[in-house]
Amino acid sequence: MSKDKEKTVLQKTLRKRIWSFFNSVLLTIGTMLSLALVSIIGTVVEQNKDMETYIQEYGEKWAGYISWAGFNDMFHTWWFSALLGLLVINILVCTIERFPPKWKVLLANKPNFSPTFIDKLQHRKVFTVNADKDATDTILKSFFKKKRYKFLEESAKDGSSAFYAWKGVIGRYGSDFTHISLFVILAGAIIGSVYGYKSFKVITVGSTINMEKRAGFNLRLDKFWIDYYDTGQIRQYNSILTVVEDGKDIVEKQIWVNEPLLYKGIRFYQSSWGTSWNKVDAAEIGFKRKDDEESSTIVRVKWNTKVDIPDSPYAVKVIGYAADFAFDDARKAVFSKSMEADNPAVMVELYKDGEHISSPWLFLKYPGLFSSIPDSDDSLIFEGYRGVLFSGISVNKDPGTNVVWVGSCIMGIGFILAFFIFHKRLYINIKSNGSSTEVKIGGVINKNTMALEKELEVFCDHFEKKQKTHKREF
Amino acid sequence: MDQPKIVLSLMFFTMAFAFYGMTALLYIINWVFRKRWIGQTATAMAIISAFTMLMMLIARAGESGHAPFSNLYESMALFVWALTVGYLVLEFRYKLKTLGAFVMTIAFLSVISASMLPYKFKSVAPLNPALQNKWKWMVNLFSKVGLENYAIGWLDFHVFATFIGYAAFAIAFGISIMFLLKLRNEEHGNSGLFSRLPESKLLDEISYRAIAWGFPFLGVGIVSGAVWANYAWGTYWSWDPKETWSLITWFVYAAYLHARVTRGWKGKRCAWLSILGFLAVMFLYWGVSFILPGLHAYA
Ligand code: HEM
Repeated sequence: MSKDKEKTVLQKTLRKRIWSFFNSVLLTIGTMLSLALVSIIGTVVEQNKDMETYIQEYGEKWAGYISWAGFNDMFHTWWFSALLGLLVINILVCTIERFPPKWKVLLANKPNFSPTFIDKLQHRKVFTVNADKDATDTILKSFFKKKRYKFLEESAKDGSSAFYAWKGVIGRYGSDFTHISLFVILAGAIIGSVYGYKSFKVITVGSTINMEKRAGFNLRLDKFWIDYYDTGQIRQYNSILTVVEDGKDIVEKQIWVNEPLLYKGIRFYQSSWGTSWNKVDAAEIGFKRKDDEESSTIVRVKWNTKVDIPDSPYAVKVIGYAADFAFDDARKAVFSKSMEADNPAVMVELYKDGEHISSPWLFLKYPGLFSSIPDSDDSLIFEGYRGVLFSGISVNKDPGTNVVWVGSCIMGIGFILAFFIFHKRLYINIKSNGSSTEVKIGGVINKNTMALEKELEVFCDHFEKKQKTHKREF
Repeated sequence: MDQPKIVLSLMFFTMAFAFYGMTALLYIINWVFRKRWIGQTATAMAIISAFTMLMMLIARAGESGHAPFSNLYESMALFVWALTVGYLVLEFRYKLKTLGAFVMTIAFLSVISASMLPYKFKSVAPLNPALQNKWKWMVNLFSKVGLENYAIGWLDFHVFATFIGYAAFAIAFGISIMFLLKLRNEEHGNSGLFSRLPESKLLDEISYRAIAWGFPFLGVGIVSGAVWANYAWGTYWSWDPKETWSLITWFVYAAYLHARVTRGWKGKRCAWLSILGFLAVMFLYWGVSFILPGLHAYA
């Protein structure tokens, strides 16, 4: 029995200890500085590179340590998340612990009307006004009105009056708004990473991004072009995208960097561009006769269009292209090794007297490598081409983004309250000395004591203006 | 290819260079010799310097055809300008001209470092695709009177807010140094040159006020940067070095504020935190640009 009791007491003190550990602002300061410190590592060590890069830069041994500690992807390690989690629990506990008492104190507004209280304040002034008490009262109230103070008044038995005036209580809640906003922002980030996704699509003009499964619509690229400055520098990349739903065109929009398309919660960003690796706009095909070394006939052939070669029985049609030609033995298929035009080749269909006779590949860098026309010494030569531009579109769904913005707005409100609205409290005592009246004022401010001193001076000036002749004593 | 002409802005910059030198010198002389007319001349000179820097920025905007925040050199001019304006507000409020001896020296050193930047950080360049961001409502509004080129966007807002923050932190830094010097002096008999600085308690308070301005502005700068990144790159946060460093800096100042407001830290420890914070600002501003790779070309 007593053992159980001991145990519960132990548990209680343990719980208390843990609670007070998280209730410490010293922990806050420590955590924030630690986050700052480890983040430095994340900027000095390049993030998300492959292992070889680290080995090259730091040597085998250090690269091992780096990957062990997760410095290569620091912001996604468990311990970085743990630090953030610590901060979150810390804020939560501090808010729970401090918010209710603060609320109570600020709502209660129980002023201290005893005149001796003013003497204890650090910031105070005492002066005499050459007017009776009622006139002084009026001046005082005009000050409260002008400066938008709320006030309470209480008359004492000895004929003196005490005033308590205050404003800017709301400024006290600035820090709470700020802290809550951090939760909202974090919640937005978590929603985004759980329910959002991100991908990158490369499409050429006329083709579509298939979003059917994910979102129930498709997206067609109608046009892509680049704007240039007079100096030749790139000014902007532009794509015209059309949303196609159930076979119907729904929306058309021109996008560019900084101007995404938003449809059904998914954003489409212009993020890169390049020249297609599997399609050309047109190719120049030369026809060379065996007996005529000097000259060849060059025809311009648009993609997938049959063109006759003049003064010959032949016609050609371009049906394939590989920017970096390679042959996959397993699949027996041609493909492009990369997106660079390192070894461009086109596939043409060759017709003789209207009849399809062969489909050879022609190489830009290796003209005449293979005999291109069967049973003939004449040959076809790939002379040049005009590529098709493709547009790189980032597809991004992040349902947390708006939550993040809401959090940011709350933070903004919190900042305005915390840094620009001060909680000022004035304690004033007025005592009649016959024809003149003594005014005693003291003030308290939650921060920015200079603002309070200024306010007290303004207070004195106000009396000076309203009551020309008065004697000040400090 | 024609290089755009940058004669006018260069002329204003050169003038500003000279004016800032004189301003800093006048404030120092005022501190040492305490002559009323020197102090007044110093203030006048500071106003002229700020005006000249503003003219430099305007000329630069005219030459480049966009807001003058697009490279390190232009942003330094903006920084110096914001610093001077912030300082002048402080001076008119608290009537403490000795602050100028420190703050305007920081401004002058900044002008010197801007002038020493290599050419590639100074040249006028058209904006690349990612930097072209204007608020549509503003473009629509301005195009009614044919001024749509003068509309601004998230880029301008982001840079401007950030630089007000930097300037406030620079002021806090200068005053924290003054605080430490004055405190030492107070502890050792309060005589000599440093005894003429304002009371250490006051300096402590003013540097706190400067940080209380810088902190929200840097915060707004970070958030508006995230908004803009969300338009341009499709993510509001990508842990790029500049972003990360701005967060680091912000956390250092957050630690400062919490220490001060909730733990009652004052004086020495706060001054050192403020100096640490400004070291982070300097790295954020210059270090990241020169040392670490990333998406931000500058600033
Ligand atoms: C680890 C979590 C945190 C805890 C436990 C914490 C705790 C506190 C406490 C107790 C206060 C004083 C409240 C008052 O005087 O009314 C405060 C003020 C404040 N906190 Fe936090 N805080 C934390 C994190 C943060 C963060 C990350 C930020 C923003 C970057 C922040 C921004 C502020 C602001 C702006 C103030 C008001 C400061 C001032 O009045 O000068 N806090 N915090």
